Amino acid sequence: MDELKNIDHSAIVVSQATMIVLNLIAFVANQPWLVVFVAAMMLFGTLVGSPAFGFVYRLVLQPLGVVRPHLLKDNPEPHRFAQGLGWFFMSTAALCLFLGLPILGWILVWMVIFLAALNAFGGFCLGCFIYYWLARLGAPGFVKTPPSGVFPGMRPRRGSDER
Amino acid sequence: MNAEVWERLLITGILVGGGAVGYLLLNRLLLKRAVNHLARFGAYRPGLPTIVYFTTPTCAPCLTMQRPIIERLQTRLGRWLQVIEVDASIHPEVARAWGVISVPTTFVFDAVGRPRSVNHGVASAETLLKQLDLEDFSI
Repeated sequence: MDELKNIDHSAIVVSQATMIVLNLIAFVANQPWLVVFVAAMMLFGTLVGSPAFGFVYRLVLQPLGVVRPHLLKDNPEPHRFAQGLGWFFMSTAALCLFLGLPILGWILVWMVIFLAALNAFGGFCLGCFIYYWLARLGAPGFVKTPPSGVFPGMRPRRGSDER
Repeated sequence: MNAEVWERLLITGILVGGGAVGYLLLNRLLLKRAVNHLARFGAYRPGLPTIVYFTTPTCAPCLTMQRPIIERLQTRLGRWLQVIEVDASIHPEVARAWGVISVPTTFVFDAVGRPRSVNHGVASAETLLKQLDLEDFSI
């Protein structure tokens, strides 16, 4: 059985929410550079293995007591993969926006907004779901299985959280 | 603000609003489907508020949180509440029919069998009492 780690899902949710807000501002104000910024942050987060905008939670919201920690036993790898997938979509969107394909670019941005909202508010991570399916298909490098009793991609439920 | 910004705000409103409506409709659909399945349980007795509780033996939150909460409710409400527990690992077809994708999941019905709420994840005693419309039974 996989060794699960304590993952603070509040950091993930805050990061997703920040990403949604920034992408919405980018769309409404028609600012492709904001899309580039979000993509760059996602790449950085994927490389260091933490949520792209987790610092908003760690440095602001958690110290102020606005958001409490929500530690759950989970695998970090699928979340990292999901963020990497998000980065791919965002960087392709940025490329489209700068290459004169605004409709395709903004559709990709909206896809990221939709999937981030599904994760933050619905508790379902499509990237994680894809990771677990790749693991089931035996793809190299994809070795983790979902926590017991949890549908692949769904957020583990309380009981394993430590407050 | 210029026209383009208003246009983009309108698109944003439509997409965000559409998403929210879609989520609400999905939950309503789930509850509508649930009412058709409730009477199929042999243990179901009409005339009592009911909780249909989906769990599995390996589900830690079910064992450590949801079950004690439901047991507390049963102790407090006695014969005024019926709980139908479904082991999703033994009856995956039932879980599928109800649209359950994670455990614990609880469906709450009033005394006449009308679906009131669905909870994806652990539901607190207060939440369940509120959904059962039995808030007077504080525990």
